[in-house]
Amino acid sequence: MDQKPDRYWNPYLAGLALGVVLTASFLVMGFGLGGSGAANRLAIGAAHVVAPVATEANGYFGQFVGAGKHVLDDWLVYEVLGMFLGGAVSAYAAGRLRLNVGSTLGIGLFPRLSMALSGGVIMGFAARLARGCTSGQALTGGSVLGVGSWVFMMCVFAGGYALAPLVRRQWR
Amino acid sequence: MIFPLFSHDEFGRFTGQVLGVLIGMGFGLVLERAGFGKAENLAAQFYGGDNRVLKVMFTGIATTAALLGLCAAFGLLDLSQVTVPETYLWPQIVGGLLLGVGFVVAGFCPGTGVVAAATGSVDGLLAYGGVMLGTFVFGFFWSDLEGFYSSGSMGVIRLDQWLGVSFPVVAAGVVAMAITAFLGAERLEAWLAKRRGTSAPDVAPRLRNLSLVTVAAAAGIALFPSWTPAASASATPSAPVTLAPTALAEQLVADARGLWIVDLRDPAACAKATVPGALCRPAEDKDAVFVNDLAATRPLVVVADAGAQLPAAVTHWPGEVRVLDGGYAAFDAQVLTAPTLPAEPTLAQIEAFQRTTALQGYFTGAAPAPAPVVTVTKAAGGAAVKKGGGC
Repeated sequence: MDQKPDRYWNPYLAGLALGVVLTASFLVMGFGLGGSGAANRLAIGAAHVVAPVATEANGYFGQFVGAGKHVLDDWLVYEVLGMFLGGAVSAYAAGRLRLNVGSTLGIGLFPRLSMALSGGVIMGFAARLARGCTSGQALTGGSVLGVGSWVFMMCVFAGGYALAPLVRRQWR
Repeated sequence: MIFPLFSHDEFGRFTGQVLGVLIGMGFGLVLERAGFGKAENLAAQFYGGDNRVLKVMFTGIATTAALLGLCAAFGLLDLSQVTVPETYLWPQIVGGLLLGVGFVVAGFCPGTGVVAAATGSVDGLLAYGGVMLGTFVFGFFWSDLEGFYSSGSMGVIRLDQWLGVSFPVVAAGVVAMAITAFLGAERLEAWLAKRRGTSAPDVAPRLRNLSLVTVAAAAGIALFPSWTPAASASATPSAPVTLAPTALAEQLVADARGLWIVDLRDPAACAKATVPGALCRPAEDKDAVFVNDLAATRPLVVVADAGAQLPAAVTHWPGEVRVLDGGYAAFDAQVLTAPTLPAEPTLAQIEAFQRTTALQGYFTGAAPAPAPVVTVTKAAGGAAVKKGGGC
């Protein structure tokens, strides 16, 4: 960690800015932000290219593909494209845009990459089960006071704190 | 009510997609500036020493809840048009626990994985790729998961509806809870830093106070209108608005896809005869939770037995709800049955007769009754001439 902390925004100010962006989304579109919805649609779109029949036959995937449906034509896909662009512009302006792997000191490069991938798989499964992730369910649903979103949010923190001691070495 | 703009047809799909990219850019930029393009900044949350995730996320939630409450309290925002994720208790508990596990293993949540990948982080890219693979795993086991996925359904329900208070009141509670959590988190950070012999994250008291006072002020102002008697009266759920059978029929003729019609009567009765285009309540769905699957962008028209209690899923439905006046019996009598005309009709009665005949013909396929030949009285004739002259 040789990044100087002052290069990031004050967390409360960043939270205020986050709230303004999210409020804008609600006032303009009537719905909020998401993170995993686009991954879901990209994955199903890829599966549909490779194995169209099997994908359409699947009870879950079949809701997104088939005649008259375009799996990538969804607001969340455009929004995540924007997230990528916004993140890249911000990192470039701050001098942080470069190929990197975070926190390899504790466990080394390959184990770190494996952890990132396997953690992602768990999250992808969890986000489908819960109908959203930290962005779409906890942040967005929590802001409009969804009952299930608050239950989900508390469980995310509980799950994270419960497992954290087991993977502590990774974050040294 | 001018917000949300999209549900008031202020712009079309393409503009919506462009706005999606722009709003997403704002989201990505804020997350990157908050330090969430780096896994160690995110994972640190779960070790107590740096609660940046909690601070950013809860300030974001508190700000949004306060601002939405403010807009709703002053009549700018129609809360019923704002999408709220549906509550399915059990999958959301298990999904939440699993997502927390995945979060601390990967060091990213799905959204921050995108932002990290955009800054050149290989682990961020792999985490997001993992999220896609996780979708496959879910799909492969779908037939086993399907039942659990729909368990614990409570429909679309917000904390304010659940607690029976107004949105701004809960928003103010969220702000108070967030500030309490921040005070606790900062004390924990200071204590851990002392114990570990490191330095606690910079608190920057002035920026913190400025941010939090802004949010608290927004939440506080939003409470004002609900103190006035008129506003609190309108906040309590009122009796459902009724819709006359002929008005429903006319709306159906104008735009058959502009409404959701749900028939909550006994499914057998519904299967026998119902309003054209109505969805019958599934036999096993006693509480009519199937209405939660309908998008709240169209009004919901309820066909029920006269005097029947409406289920909570309908009364808490986020969109506009109308109850068909008199139920199906009235629709059958007033729309599907050929009207009769009194022997000495007035002009208004003739007009009504022609309208109803046309509706009956539309829905039953019966040929519209011929326009009655009536010799109108002089007074009525004068009115007719006047009307004709206006054309």
